Amino acid sequence: MKPLALLRLAWRSIAGHRLRSALTTLGVIIGVAAVIAFVTLGASLQAGIVGDISPDDQRNVYGWAADPGTEGGPLAGAQPVVSEADLAALEERSGIDAAYGYAPLGTQAVATGDSVVPLGDGAFATGPTYVREDDIATGRQFEQGEPEAVVNPAVAGAFESNVSVGDELTLVFQGGETRTVTVVGITDTSEGLSPFEGFGQSPRLYVPTDPFYAGADSAADEETDGNESAEESEADGNASAPGEDDPGNESDGEAAAGTRYTAIVVEAPSADDAAIDRAKEQARSYLESDASDASALLASGELEIVLQTSTQLLSQLQDILGLLQNFIVGVAAISLLVGSIGIANIMLVSVTERTREIGIMKAVGAQNRDVLGLFLMEAIVLGVIGAILGTALGLATGYLGAQYIDLPLVYPLEYVALAIAVGVLVGVFSGLYPAWKAARTDPIDALRYE
Amino acid sequence: MAPSEPAVTLDDVRKTYQLAETVHALDGVSLTLPRGSYTAIMGPSGSGKSTLMNVIGCLDTPTEGRVVIDGADVSTLSGRERTRLRGIEIGFVFQTFNLMPRLTALENVAMPQLFQNVGRTDRNERARDLLDRVGLADRADHRPNELSGGQRQRVALARALVNDPAIVLADEPSGNLDTETEAGILDLFAEFHDAGTTLLVVSHERHVAERAERIVHLLDGKIERIEALNDARNGSGPPSAGPDGTPPSTVGRDEHGGSATDRGTDQEEPDRGPDR
Repeated sequence: MKPLALLRLAWRSIAGHRLRSALTTLGVIIGVAAVIAFVTLGASLQAGIVGDISPDDQRNVYGWAADPGTEGGPLAGAQPVVSEADLAALEERSGIDAAYGYAPLGTQAVATGDSVVPLGDGAFATGPTYVREDDIATGRQFEQGEPEAVVNPAVAGAFESNVSVGDELTLVFQGGETRTVTVVGITDTSEGLSPFEGFGQSPRLYVPTDPFYAGADSAADEETDGNESAEESEADGNASAPGEDDPGNESDGEAAAGTRYTAIVVEAPSADDAAIDRAKEQARSYLESDASDASALLASGELEIVLQTSTQLLSQLQDILGLLQNFIVGVAAISLLVGSIGIANIMLVSVTERTREIGIMKAVGAQNRDVLGLFLMEAIVLGVIGAILGTALGLATGYLGAQYIDLPLVYPLEYVALAIAVGVLVGVFSGLYPAWKAARTDPIDALRYE
Repeated sequence: MAPSEPAVTLDDVRKTYQLAETVHALDGVSLTLPRGSYTAIMGPSGSGKSTLMNVIGCLDTPTEGRVVIDGADVSTLSGRERTRLRGIEIGFVFQTFNLMPRLTALENVAMPQLFQNVGRTDRNERARDLLDRVGLADRADHRPNELSGGQRQRVALARALVNDPAIVLADEPSGNLDTETEAGILDLFAEFHDAGTTLLVVSHERHVAERAERIVHLLDGKIERIEALNDARNGSGPPSAGPDGTPPSTVGRDEHGGSATDRGTDQEEPDRGPDR
């Protein structure tokens, strides 16, 4: 019997039992939809994180020094070791375009005129190229040594009247000290610019390390001196928390050697692997050599330089996400299994119910394989319809979910193809035994069957 | 096959079932059904009518003996070849019509050709033609549950004929029909017989069997006797002695009160004859 004729006949039986077919299909729909929705959300979530790494960011190597045994994200267990001199020396090395420090400033608020907006950990002292030119919507990068700032739209829009390039802002530090900066640039997005910051949208303000890091250092001196020992012991004894280090901690230590940075950024000339590796190698060899100020602190062996790109930093996070996603998809797959059992069950009922029809078909010349094909086709059609509707439902759910938690929507198309394939497989799998049973029906018995 | 070759030849056919004791459903039946013949089989329950039908219809294989249909020895065929032969050479008409409930009359008639991989257009054309011949051209798109019993049996007859089979097997074709409808169906049988179709009708009702050219009486798996009828086509007169001198049978006639002569005007369907 020709496949098309088979399909037509199979469709007749399915359409003949609308409610039953619909309910049977529902099992598959829910299963496939659940799998697709979770896979879509997972892919969107990953894209939301990975997508925040701009191509320019790919050539940045993020570095810090931490206890080798420390587990955790960027800056986990990081200690201030790299000096200004080290950074200057790094910039001189071949294979390194730029090297600069990165430090959150302990700001409390930012104000313009009478309008004051709280700014928790949203101010960062860093190098000019940290805010990449591509990321600046209006204005320019700040310059070292100048009281200039680049703000993101979340800061710019936080005041009663929007901040624009040229406006002056007053930074209020935790010690109560204030500094005035001139806004020279506004970024195009409020998302974080590097894994140091995290990637969520929040108000952020970027200023040069000179004078702000050193300045904040001195401003915070009085405060930090008092709890230096406590901070130190915490950093040593509890390595999981130091990611939350405040700038006081980062700068308080080795006053003798001048300002030390907990976090540094080393820019390679390009984002290709060879350039990245070379920049890493250069940075590591210098920082570990006796020529660097950092080496004295590294010599104890308690600290080790960590140098990673944002992609590498994120891979760990992605692994966890992947694991979580696999778990959820696994649960969804169970519902798919239940759906296929539903098809098998209804096909068995159908075979029994249509014993007489099978007898008629065989009497008028249907071969065993025709009967087998017919019932198998029915199961497959149910599976495929379930898969297609489930895919549509899953994609819609994924879309709504991504909208709801504000993620870039990414449809994993290979999974959509996979879902259809799964629908066929579910049909074959669950239809095989009932179809085989139908094919083996003895026409003499079947014709007598009431 | 040669035109002279019979449609069906049975040669000492035996069918044995091993139940609690050995049952000889067919115990050495030899029968020839020439092309274009119209034969009826009568006999009480358990006489082997059904088994004979199943054997001739390629639904069952004999334990011993040969069944030759349109020149092909059924016993030497594989199951698949037997199914194929059944599809092409045998047309079935059942007491309970046995139409596919979800298919239209046209689709039901066309269905056997579906399994022979006949194209849809050809199939439908052929089916429409046959429906026209059984007088149901205007019911082609109706489903069985929208048709009367007689109409259903006409559809079944059209379906039996669709592959132009060597023989049409009808098992109590009018058993579920009222008298008037029965007459219509039997007239249709006669019509197709006149047109050259080979017919084998199983019935326990004398007046139905009498429409045939001869009646084969089965008893305990053996042919008790073969009764040739004078004028099978019009069926208007009581059968007299056949050409071979066989006396007219009286089996079943008493119960039917001579219904063979005026079955068109039978008010009530008579009781089911001696074998019930």
